[in-house]
Amino acid sequence: MIHYIKNKRPIDTMLLMVSALLISISFWSCDPSLSTYEYDLAEANSLEDLTPPSANFSAAVSSTDHLTINFANLSSSATDYVWNFGDGNSSTSKDGQNTYPDLGTYTVTLTATDKLLASDTFSMDIEVVEPAAIIPVINEASFEDGALAGGTGDGRDSWRISGGTIFGITSGPTRTGSQAAKFEVAPENRVGYQSLTVSPNTDYVVTLYYTMKTSPAGGEVRLAILGNAISDASEAEAAIIASTTGNNQVDANEYIQLSLAFNSGDTSTIAIWFDSNDVAEARVDDVSIALAP
Amino acid sequence: MKQINIIVLLLIGVVLASCESDFLNPTPSSGVTSESYYTTVGEVETAVINLYDGMQGTNSTDTDDNHAYMYEFYITEMRSDNTRTKSSEGEAAQFENYSIAATNGIVADYYASFYNIIFRANIVLDNLGVVEDASVAAAFEGEAKFVRANAYFNLVRLFGDIPLIDRVISPLETDVQFTRVVTSSVYDLIESDLNTAIASLDNSYKTRASKAAAQALLAKVYLTQGENYNLAQGLCEAVMGSGFSLESNFNDIFYDERNSEIIFAVGYASGLSSDSQNFSSEWMNAVGRTSGVNYVTTEAVTALNDLGGDRTAYSYRVDPFQPSQNQVVKYLPNGEDGGADGKTFENDATLAGNDWIVLRYADVLLMHVEAIMAGGTETSNSSALSSFQMVRDRAGLTDVVTNITKQELLDERRVELAFENQRFFDLVRFGVAQDVLSAFSTANGYTYAATDLLLPFPQREINLSNGVLTQNPGY
Repeated sequence: MIHYIKNKRPIDTMLLMVSALLISISFWSCDPSLSTYEYDLAEANSLEDLTPPSANFSAAVSSTDHLTINFANLSSSATDYVWNFGDGNSSTSKDGQNTYPDLGTYTVTLTATDKLLASDTFSMDIEVVEPAAIIPVINEASFEDGALAGGTGDGRDSWRISGGTIFGITSGPTRTGSQAAKFEVAPENRVGYQSLTVSPNTDYVVTLYYTMKTSPAGGEVRLAILGNAISDASEAEAAIIASTTGNNQVDANEYIQLSLAFNSGDTSTIAIWFDSNDVAEARVDDVSIALAP
Repeated sequence: MKQINIIVLLLIGVVLASCESDFLNPTPSSGVTSESYYTTVGEVETAVINLYDGMQGTNSTDTDDNHAYMYEFYITEMRSDNTRTKSSEGEAAQFENYSIAATNGIVADYYASFYNIIFRANIVLDNLGVVEDASVAAAFEGEAKFVRANAYFNLVRLFGDIPLIDRVISPLETDVQFTRVVTSSVYDLIESDLNTAIASLDNSYKTRASKAAAQALLAKVYLTQGENYNLAQGLCEAVMGSGFSLESNFNDIFYDERNSEIIFAVGYASGLSSDSQNFSSEWMNAVGRTSGVNYVTTEAVTALNDLGGDRTAYSYRVDPFQPSQNQVVKYLPNGEDGGADGKTFENDATLAGNDWIVLRYADVLLMHVEAIMAGGTETSNSSALSSFQMVRDRAGLTDVVTNITKQELLDERRVELAFENQRFFDLVRFGVAQDVLSAFSTANGYTYAATDLLLPFPQREINLSNGVLTQNPGY
């Protein structure tokens, strides 16, 4: 019997505790003092904003359009942003993107604000510029052996075109290195051709050096620019957009500069073409291309 | 009295003996310590092998282990427009929707893994003094420096300015551990390490550092910085003259290990928890710990279908168990396709032995094109065309290319190197990450912002640094 009572007591205690808890909950849930908090001043006991916003961004030209700039928002501790792009446009998105009406320098300002209305401002001058013009690389420009990838190439592999006979290689006289291109007389009809990628509507100058035997007279070396890539030598004449000739036969060992200026127009692929009129044996060395000064 | 004298004498003897430093700091005769271990060439070589153990990571599901390369796809491929989780859940999904938290365990795992690899490399470099044969010492130095450069290259691209540790440091040197160094200084160390590696290594190995691997990596380092394009071209051409070649069948790259196309791979062996990998099983449908990660996005499916040629079928497949989803089929566990439901494997798929390819020849050929393009928008240079054509010819796309635009090169890299952890870095290197990823994010309802191009430093590191290590913006 004693045993039974001993066992029963904790259950009673538990019942007592549960009811006490329920009563206290019901008291608490209708505690009128809760609503008194609304009369407290909002600033009372509030903490200082230790991490105010810090505005910062970087800018990069879009991959598709040189007038469009992407802005990367690098601000910290901020939630709201206002971009002023300096051309009258603005935005409130996190990262900015703006297409400018024209080239020029613009002052871009980012204001970063947090929900306590603390804010920070960062400005940067953005230069919107034309993309840099391509300066193409001419392969085997001085006709040396082993100038291609992996030490391959016979000095003229980059200059071949089907339907045309590639020029020969001479070991002397050369202007630089140990090899130059060689054009024999008729009926050889040798040619050199190489297509290049250029920036559209850009002025370039192509330069080569040639020398010719002193006789027979009437020899000519021709340097031409084709307005597009061709797949057969027979298409060359129709594709010429600029050409020049050299006819200096004073000294068979002296190389003469021959330059040709041209504008690439609306194309991004042009080709260099050179040949001779097959009258006097001619040599060509050191082809180069540069932006027109 | 006599007894007292004897006791005093004994006590003096004890005092005298205890004055010797050996008594207080004995060299353990039965145990090994890091300070006493490295005394012979063979012992230093174990430290060299340990480099590659660090790159393998530990094949486990324990979040406290370093998983190294096994987890790289999470923070590279799944952060690009190529892959995502199958069911958009857990911290793995933070990568695809650009909501990565500083507390993300996978980021912390990768960060710790790669600094651990750097620690292992510094151990080798610290103990080269005991190697008497100068050529062996040079080779060990080259291997350690390649491994260290590779680790720093990944970290600097993922985190930006990072702590730079180029020697073994003690736990108390917290300033070195947590002070961020500008990326240009990190790149200086990477370039100098790789140049040392190029000078001292040959091409004996594919799963250990080699000269060609260092050359290819240095080319990528130059391209990433947008400088020294001519040097990058020369390095690619040096690799191209080193006897590597494209596998004729695209599939063989992944299932005929250490083939002629592989320049550097992290070696794994199946069946052993110490040497195997688990990413292959994670990419399947609930075969690994996850319900399936690195699943292919519709954007990548479209790109592969349009531009992949022969590569498409060997890059992804419809998940046989869940046909609305697409799986990667490069690196199928141990080469098994998983049977009719795509998830039934003969060998333990979670202990897969597929090597992870870090550098392969097709990558170098396309880098060669990129170097010749030199930051421009297109090229019709014949050397570039020939490299580009080789990659396309192997894929069965034999139409003659006469001009390559930057976009075409990027697309070609995407389908050739899909799911090989290249895409994210390619987007950044080509300067199109902002354009491509914000469009991708908008189309899929993700929350990409420009600051998502850098990962957060693990919160654990920030906390340990006592305010020295600053977080990247946006986190």
